[in-house]
Amino acid sequence: MATPLLSVEHLSVSFGAGKHQQAAVRDISFHIQPGETVGVVGESGSGKSVTSLSIMGLLPPNGQIDDGRVLWQQQGGEVDLTQLPPRQLRQYRGKEMAMIFQEPMTSLNPVFTCGYQVAEAIRVHEKMGATAAKARVLELFKQVRLPDPERMYKSYPHELSGGQKQRVMIAMALSCQPRLLIADEPTTALDVTVQKAILELLQELKDEVQAAILFITHDLGVIGDIADRVLVMYQGQIVEQGTVSALFKQPQHPYTKGLLACRPPLSARVERLPTVSDFMEVSKDGAWSEKNNSIHTSTISKVQAQQRLTKLQENAPILSVSGLNTWFPKEKTWLGQPKSFVKAVQDVSFDVYPGETLGLVGESGCGKTTLGRTIMRLLPATSGSITFNGQDVLAAEGSALRALRKQVQIIFQDPYSSLNPRMPIGKAIQEPMAVHGLHGTADKRKQQTIQLLEQVGLRPEHYDRYPHEFSGGQRQRICIARALALQPRFIICDESVSALDVSVQAQVLNLLLDLQQTYNLTYIFISHDLSVVYFMADRIAVMQEGRIVEMGPGYEIYHDPKQPYTQQLIEAIPKGNVDAPTERHAE
Amino acid sequence: MGRFLLQRLSAGALVLLGVIFVIFALFLLINVDPAKMTLGQRSDIASQEAVRARLGLDKPWYGRMAMYVGQLSPIGVHPNDAATREELGGVALLSLGDQVVLLKWPYLGRSFQSDRRVGAMLLQAISNTLILSLAALTIALLLGLSLGMLAALRSGSWVDRLLVSLAALGVSIPSYFSAIVLSFVLGYVYHAYTGLNMIGSLYDLEGHIVWQNLILPALALGIRPVAVITQLTRSTMLDVLEQDYMRTAKAKGLSPTVVIVQHGLRNAVNPVITAVSGWLASLLAGAYFVEVIFNFKGLGYMTIKAIETYDFPVIMGSVLLGATLFVLINILVDVLYALFDPKIKMAG
Repeated sequence: MATPLLSVEHLSVSFGAGKHQQAAVRDISFHIQPGETVGVVGESGSGKSVTSLSIMGLLPPNGQIDDGRVLWQQQGGEVDLTQLPPRQLRQYRGKEMAMIFQEPMTSLNPVFTCGYQVAEAIRVHEKMGATAAKARVLELFKQVRLPDPERMYKSYPHELSGGQKQRVMIAMALSCQPRLLIADEPTTALDVTVQKAILELLQELKDEVQAAILFITHDLGVIGDIADRVLVMYQGQIVEQGTVSALFKQPQHPYTKGLLACRPPLSARVERLPTVSDFMEVSKDGAWSEKNNSIHTSTISKVQAQQRLTKLQENAPILSVSGLNTWFPKEKTWLGQPKSFVKAVQDVSFDVYPGETLGLVGESGCGKTTLGRTIMRLLPATSGSITFNGQDVLAAEGSALRALRKQVQIIFQDPYSSLNPRMPIGKAIQEPMAVHGLHGTADKRKQQTIQLLEQVGLRPEHYDRYPHEFSGGQRQRICIARALALQPRFIICDESVSALDVSVQAQVLNLLLDLQQTYNLTYIFISHDLSVVYFMADRIAVMQEGRIVEMGPGYEIYHDPKQPYTQQLIEAIPKGNVDAPTERHAE
Repeated sequence: MGRFLLQRLSAGALVLLGVIFVIFALFLLINVDPAKMTLGQRSDIASQEAVRARLGLDKPWYGRMAMYVGQLSPIGVHPNDAATREELGGVALLSLGDQVVLLKWPYLGRSFQSDRRVGAMLLQAISNTLILSLAALTIALLLGLSLGMLAALRSGSWVDRLLVSLAALGVSIPSYFSAIVLSFVLGYVYHAYTGLNMIGSLYDLEGHIVWQNLILPALALGIRPVAVITQLTRSTMLDVLEQDYMRTAKAKGLSPTVVIVQHGLRNAVNPVITAVSGWLASLLAGAYFVEVIFNFKGLGYMTIKAIETYDFPVIMGSVLLGATLFVLINILVDVLYALFDPKIKMAG
């Protein structure tokens, strides 16, 4: 075996000191061969980013490496990067090892041009003049397939799209021909089609520049597409590592099994998603054990789905949207009259039937969120009509509008910012009931709230706790309980699971399905994640630039897309070979 | 850009018209007779009437206001007689019988008290005030930016806590109080060590500049800006230090100095520019208390003296000058802002 480029040996990292000290990474060891791509998967808080930051020596001030070595192979032997003084470590950063971050939107400095920021890295390590550095940057921009490199050189970050910014970041990372490239969730913040392009670029560049890549992601599909080997991290430890095919075909650790199973598959529509907790049990002190029950997920066949849809459509639609337009003024004349518009929603028409789930997919900026909010009357419609249960939504005022809002609820994307941090969650759930004068007395409302908490999988004793005491998944459950408090008939889920880890996402999706059955709820399920929509929705509408370009039953959209845009979207979903294990259950 | 400037300038002109109207209205309300003020108690009616006629006080207020605006305007129609031409100066563009269209500097009239041209008086006063405010601002920027950065980089330490408390103190002390304290302590009690005077103008009687007389007023005037800039720099810098692009800069292998000064300060400085420019306008428009306390003959000192004697043209002139400075500086700030922050586009 060749000497590894980088060996991490028994690395332990913690944050804080004394009583508040918290271990983030515990005794992990792995190595990367020159030119190899190693994927690291794990959920938020599993220590994957901390690992990469420790290698780069970029831990925040309150983080410290407690133990272990990070050995870097170079001419004349090994160096332990953790022992290097800052001045020497700086010569490795950007030169020998470079990093691409998750958020291209915020990772570039807004006040310098893209060209300057890339040239800066070159000039500091290669001792080059400004002209030579510029020539090199233009070459790099061409290499990462940025259009019009000269213009990009002079552009400020805000003038570029997210994908272009990430290309600039990649150009910056490659600028000094590093031997190790660390990519920390480089495509998570991007749309699927952009993600696909960036992943392809990374793969092509990998061969061109012959750098080893440490690729960190929570998305197993992405890992399957790009990595040679995979490390699975859980609670700061590496629980399993192996080649991609071995890991996907025969996962050993229950956590890996759970992680692989809980991602909604695309090959067939399953009835319920397995969750990590189906595979393993975690005790209070953090020890885990495998559960031995066999997990069987039944699938919904095309015929079953068709039958369900026909039955649903026997009723009159609960919501009819026709010719809906929502425009925002873009430019104004000096008198304040709008001169041109951003047409966020353009001529959109559809019906939703009681008990149905309509999926709404599209890339960022396609107008799906605006559409949802216009239906809620959170945004004013420019023209068109919305009828809910026979009532004109756009004309409703005062008490009629309040009555409508009681029946239509929304669950937002970010469970962290959509709960008031200073209000106990019991009160937060109860508040809408009090506003609408439900259940008579405060006592009854409290009883009702406790019942709701139990229904969404929380406990009565959670009633008096504050949002910060809950995890992301629990908070989203609280938001769901709050939406249910008014006993609505219709819920708009706006990217409601996008901020959650896959295993938590599976639990919340299952919960939403259960609630739909119990209360005969109707959903509009808005998401950029096509696999999640496929799992949830009876019918799917694909939005592009404010218009619905294609709409139909889920199986049609997925297996027989008519529009080129839909085809492109489905084509772009990273497939890896994650679906392999679930295929066994398919028809 | 041109359109943006044109819009802002015309809006500014409206503001100035409003200011003129307000001052005229105030003088109507006060109802003092400048003729009596000029001539003293023992004047006779005839000479009072003569003075009134000379000062144009016999006309109704709207007539006086129209005349004032006409004289102020760089292009205006005026009677074509030798006395007027001599007083207003400028170039005749067009002759219309006994009227003439003149292109000239804005004419602000003459002081009721000294009969000197208000324009010349203002010019002298504003140059003194300009030197004073620039000195104060330089002190404030140098101290404020470095102290603010120091506090942000050492956040949570005793240095940070000390600086934050001092800044809070500095913001809360009114300038007349700090001026009196500084003047008394450094100019009187420790005069022997500092060699500074309690009061004094920038020029001595022979017209030489006395730089040491600038030190105490500049300090007194600068205390609040120092405190505000320290606080602002600290908080924006703390914010910037957390940003992803700072991590990117470190990941490039840049040295800490380059990371903090170039990537950090450049981003942190925008809110500071806004604050500083706001201060510059208000400092210029009248460091009233500080100038009066130190007997420093700037715009503020002159305005206060004019108010004491109801010297209408001087009051009007200095207020107008202050307003003009505010308008111009605010436009300048918007332009500067766009230069420093590429995200801001000039739009109407």
